[in-house]
Amino acid sequence: MRHRVIQSVGIAWTCLLAFFVVLLYATEPQSVGDVKTQASVIAGTYEIDRARFDAARDLFLREQYAAARDEWGRADPARRDARTQFYTAYAFYRQGWGRVYNDDALFRQGLDAATLALSLSPAGTLAVEDPELKIRTAAELKAELEQGLERTIDDFNPLKVFRERK
Amino acid sequence: MTNNRERNRALVRFILLPTIFLIVALLGGLRVSAESSAFVFIAPPLVTLVLALMLLALFARGGALQLSHWLSSENHPLTNVSHALTLGALFFASAQSFNSVLPERGLMRWMLSFFFLWTLWQNQFASFDPRRLLRSLAALFGTAFVIKHVLLAALYAPEGGWMKRAVGVLLEGVTLGTLDAPAFAPATGYISFFALALYVGGLVLLPPAPDDAEPASPPVEEIARTIERLPLAERESVREAILDSGREPEAVKRLAD
Repeated sequence: MRHRVIQSVGIAWTCLLAFFVVLLYATEPQSVGDVKTQASVIAGTYEIDRARFDAARDLFLREQYAAARDEWGRADPARRDARTQFYTAYAFYRQGWGRVYNDDALFRQGLDAATLALSLSPAGTLAVEDPELKIRTAAELKAELEQGLERTIDDFNPLKVFRERK
Repeated sequence: MTNNRERNRALVRFILLPTIFLIVALLGGLRVSAESSAFVFIAPPLVTLVLALMLLALFARGGALQLSHWLSSENHPLTNVSHALTLGALFFASAQSFNSVLPERGLMRWMLSFFFLWTLWQNQFASFDPRRLLRSLAALFGTAFVIKHVLLAALYAPEGGWMKRAVGVLLEGVTLGTLDAPAFAPATGYISFFALALYVGGLVLLPPAPDDAEPASPPVEEIARTIERLPLAERESVREAILDSGREPEAVKRLAD
């Protein structure tokens, strides 16, 4: 009887350990901190660092977009929070926006982040209530970024210089 | 006392061995980047899977692993599942042990892969007992470890090790492009050493057949064939020795016939 108990525990333990090994190779954490983050994501206890998020938002409002993105990256290392990804996409949009032309590389990264934000939203829609922002939904931001990447005849319209950054 | 012994053996077979082999499977592909000190996980390449398969075949041939006892229709289903998991862990631990001592790329990787393949292929046709097989494996892994983590690591150390200076003098003006390999932090060598030590330790603990199985004895035909190959005088001495012991096994009877 005790023999069977040891066997059953052994099977369960081996499966669990094998799952952990496969998971590590699949997610490729770069540090022990990353391992902890991945473990908390799987356990469902993952939360972003609220203080870092607020610090990043302050940087964003002071137009320090690259620094804000770094800080948001630290606040949400697993890139699992839709709201943080929305703000990251917004930072790419604002930094890449130009009166004469947009920075395509930054817009593409913004588009990726906006798409990720939408995919992380439970219902596929995301609305952010922030009075400092002119675009309040991820879908709207994604459309704005896509439009910025398109090549149209309107790009040669001289009146374009009077458009407003959102 | 006997209960304790049985319990300990069960703990080793069902918990400790799979744990050891899975830790080896984890550590065998783990490297530490020299630049950022970040973990780099390298999944077992195809060549290491082939080498691991050849190694398991060698274990089976050398008697270090009697598969018919580990996986048998006479075993309880739970026992078979547990044994299959242990053997699976052993396979991946073997693959990752090769992964741990093979350079990541370059000429040396292909040379060492060929060296392993050749040695394992040759050994398939040699006669081994489990102890000799284990010693041979320890030597094989030890040699590859020294080549990768001592010689090549010194050759590609970012700050320029003793090996780099020596090779620089010997091969002045000759490109080392074909010997190219990524530089890893010294911690990688320690991780690899620990993984290999754990792997060999696991092999030492691995019984050829589970304790509850019948002890394997060589088949009668095999003993008869061995005796038949002996010179006539020695064959007679064997026969007399067995007859003196008061027993006449089937093989000797057949020889006498």
